[in-house]
Amino acid sequence: MSHDPSKKKFSRRTLVKAAAAAGAWQLVPRAVARAAGGEPVRFGFDDTLTGTYAALGKNTLIGCELAVEQINARGGILGRKVEMVVEDSTSGDAGTAVQKARKLIERDHVSFILGNVNSALALAMGQVTADRGILHIVPGGHTDAVTGTACHWNVFRVCNTTQMEANAVAPQLVKNAGKRWYYITPDYAFGHTLQAGLEKAGQKLGAVKAGADLTPLGTTDYSSYLIKAQAASPDVIIFLTQGADMINALKQAVQFGLEKRTHLAGAQQELEALEGLPPEARVGTWVFEWYWKQPGVPHLDAFVSAIRKKTGKVPTARTWQGYAAAWSCALAAHAAKSLDGVKLARAMQGLKLPPEIGLMPQAPFYRAGDHQLMPTLYVGQAQAGTAGSEDLFHVSQLVQGPEAAGPVEDSGCKLTWPHA
Amino acid sequence: MAQLVFFNVFNGLIVGAFYALMALGLSLILNLSGVINFAHGGFLAIAAYLAYTLIPHVGFWGGLLLAPPLTAALGLLIERFLIRRLYRRDPLYGLLLTFGLAYVFEDATRYLWGAQSLPYPIPASLTTPISSTYFFLTGYRVFMVFLVAAAVGALFLVLKRTRLGIRIRAGTHDLETVSVLGTNVRILRNLNFGLGIYLAGLAGVLAAGMLGLEPTIGSSLIMPSFVAIIVGGLGSLPGTLLGGLLIGVASGVTTVFFPSATEAVMYVMMGAVLLVRPHGLLGEPGRAQ
Repeated sequence: MSHDPSKKKFSRRTLVKAAAAAGAWQLVPRAVARAAGGEPVRFGFDDTLTGTYAALGKNTLIGCELAVEQINARGGILGRKVEMVVEDSTSGDAGTAVQKARKLIERDHVSFILGNVNSALALAMGQVTADRGILHIVPGGHTDAVTGTACHWNVFRVCNTTQMEANAVAPQLVKNAGKRWYYITPDYAFGHTLQAGLEKAGQKLGAVKAGADLTPLGTTDYSSYLIKAQAASPDVIIFLTQGADMINALKQAVQFGLEKRTHLAGAQQELEALEGLPPEARVGTWVFEWYWKQPGVPHLDAFVSAIRKKTGKVPTARTWQGYAAAWSCALAAHAAKSLDGVKLARAMQGLKLPPEIGLMPQAPFYRAGDHQLMPTLYVGQAQAGTAGSEDLFHVSQLVQGPEAAGPVEDSGCKLTWPHA
Repeated sequence: MAQLVFFNVFNGLIVGAFYALMALGLSLILNLSGVINFAHGGFLAIAAYLAYTLIPHVGFWGGLLLAPPLTAALGLLIERFLIRRLYRRDPLYGLLLTFGLAYVFEDATRYLWGAQSLPYPIPASLTTPISSTYFFLTGYRVFMVFLVAAAVGALFLVLKRTRLGIRIRAGTHDLETVSVLGTNVRILRNLNFGLGIYLAGLAGVLAAGMLGLEPTIGSSLIMPSFVAIIVGGLGSLPGTLLGGLLIGVASGVTTVFFPSATEAVMYVMMGAVLLVRPHGLLGEPGRAQ
């Protein structure tokens, strides 16, 4: 009825032409790049950029980005430039994570998949990447099954298993806090396996369970759990919650003055969580998976200043995990001289991270039997610092990966190879 | 055991008071405008971040005083330019808009203040427990209960005694008649929306003192508020208050017996109320349809 110039200009024929042109545009650069032998090697990053684990996923991404910059500065992979394709998996929707992994493999033709912080999402993505034969590195999903009962020939993990963390911290918990343990555990795979791991490790040291409460993921008010935990008179309340749940639980426990009545501690702790807590709530014995301040680690200062230059802050364990994961892809390709999934996976088995990438007191390596990285675990105490402090953890003991992990047979992993 | 249950009932009332504060704001908007404001949690988060930004300049009390009205002002603008356009349409449109806004707010806070949790400072005088036996009664939580009580008291006073309040209550029952009698319904809805968002802002600033301040702070608190409204009864503000307190107590007591069901018990309660009394505990039958 009314005169609409946009309709006049935009006919069906124009649309078809535009679509054809767009299609051709998609093809041309790739064809040119192929002809020049310079098509980039793509890393598919599929991790938690929104939701509860957004901060962790973003720090992982920053580490990956630094690694990619360095890889390209040193000539790329097999003489080709490296490019990252970044997707948000969401923090808890396995369907989205899997759909994004498929998109990265089928449409973007990535050679590597990196992700996920959420254990359940990492497991779901592992199914897809194993089917498609793509090397998949899990920078930060901890549940045992990833390199245990649900392990795959193509999946390698940088972060620790929950059992490793439990084994590393249990002796210090007994020593610093006592033997009656009360667990506040998030009600999902990570929490269940971490609590089971601690119970197993604690039992060997004579620790007993004073009680345990499963808390729904995303719980905001922990007061009722804390009242119950206090009533059981434990030597230590062990917080296995993560992310925002960890902050809410610890903040409320300290507001109740519980740190003066009993010990507050746990297994895995992260710099992201300590930064989010007020200084008085930075208490307890914990495991860090990596720490930015550790004497006698070569190249550590250079890494810290490179990340500080990018973000203005010190790297966290997540930043290092992303960095190590992306660099592992390049190292594997260099060793395999190929981008074939099986050849890459074979090259990853036993791969030792060089000092400038491992950034730990002893060189971490991927154990061949279950594809789990064997790093150093940092056991120590949270320290209050002041509002803007960066040094929030005091490392009191270093535990080596193989010691924390136990024999490979205990992992329950049975690798099945596609061409075996 | 009896002491544990008693402690949890007592503590549940404190937690419930907080749920009620959020739910009252939602209820006000729903009752007059028929909009299920899914972005309520987003407004809550924005208020908390605004207070966090203001605190270095104006202190904790200044933040508490200024952030809620600033958020309410944002609410007035959102209502004026976005939500108002959808009143004549199917309620689904309003729901979709606010649902989208919730995501926009969450990502905006993430963009502006970062994904990382921020430590929200509260005065040292409020951080300590005031009794050794009732260790869960910290200065901050007692202060929060008093503030919620004052806010609820002031709200009911506004609704009972002021012209604006009387019009809002009248509009809740029959907006057309109120309009015919000469009240500018557009302004009425706008101010009512602002009042609801003010309560969300107050809840946000209070929440930041107890929880970690991060972009999902609002979305994790929104569901108990919806449940409080349904349990209490649509259209009834005293019902919403009662609903909030009841779910707080129910969650607390469930912790003693079945800790993993503290969240589920709210929904079980909602289901039970809907089956036995579909219009809610204090709601009017006509409003539930």
